[in-house]
Amino acid sequence: MSDYGGDDGGFDDGGYDSGGAIDFDEEAEPEVMDDVDDAEGGEDPEVDDNIVVSGDASAAAASKDKVKNSVDAEKEKKVPNENRTTTPYMTKYEKARVLGTRALQISGNAPVLIDVEGMTDPLQIAAKELREKKIPLVVRRYLPDGFYEDWTCEELLI
Amino acid sequence: MFFLKELEKTIQLHPSYFGPLIRSHIHKELLQKEEGSSTGKYTIVCILDSFDISDGQVMPGSGSAEYTVHYKAIVWRPYKGEVMDGIVTSILPSGFFVDCGSLQAFVGRNMIPSDIKFEGNAAPPQWTDGADQVIEKGTNIRIKIKGIRSEVDKMYAVGTMKEDYLGPLSQ
Repeated sequence: MSDYGGDDGGFDDGGYDSGGAIDFDEEAEPEVMDDVDDAEGGEDPEVDDNIVVSGDASAAAASKDKVKNSVDAEKEKKVPNENRTTTPYMTKYEKARVLGTRALQISGNAPVLIDVEGMTDPLQIAAKELREKKIPLVVRRYLPDGFYEDWTCEELLI
Repeated sequence: MFFLKELEKTIQLHPSYFGPLIRSHIHKELLQKEEGSSTGKYTIVCILDSFDISDGQVMPGSGSAEYTVHYKAIVWRPYKGEVMDGIVTSILPSGFFVDCGSLQAFVGRNMIPSDIKFEGNAAPPQWTDGADQVIEKGTNIRIKIKGIRSEVDKMYAVGTMKEDYLGPLSQ
């Protein structure tokens, strides 16, 4: 219902504008509008006087919903690959995390991307994958402002 | 009433599912887990085909990957005063239960027109007015919702039959 109220206000405003199209009258106008509002019992206080609500209501709802889309919100925080500034070397902490994670995945029956040559130790297989730059993981380095850079294990120098 | 709603779901995948078919696996998992599920406020009827899958994130300590999927779905939410069709699931002397999709509704004795009486001696027990209106297990019936109670993952309703055009539907 408040939507209708807002629309009515916008419409009245427009009508008034086209009636007395003199610039210096504009200052007096809001007061007149306010009085009318008060007499009618007040409209939605969130609706600004100078905004005319118009256009596609469903599009407006969609744009509101966009904020709730955390998949898109996360993708917006990514620093483009050509603008990355952090070190191109894999730090020892990243190496430990990558090797450990990959070994855990291999032990959990993840498909292996190299020739294992009869190796059975998941950590050894992971180390060989890292040497051949075949680890399918991406290091996501978060920056203090919430943006992040993605570095694939393939491009990081060891 | 049916609505179109945007929803999100996180899906965790075990390392053994990794491989080229990972996206179709996420799709399958989403349909299997979400379609038909009820949140206590609404039931997800159908997931539309276009959806966003985020990059997978490795869970520390387990090696699984976690994906966030943003999707649109047709959801159904019952409202007080809504008229709907259902199937009778059980007959009691105090009334009967109706299944309307995911919603279970109870129609009590006070909500049944006074000319329809309980007949416990019939061979399945039934509510009947002795003529063409017979309510037994499996009858298609039209009721109006009087009230709704929602629990964590299920909704229950109280229905009425005491209005025009409500009652068993002719087969």
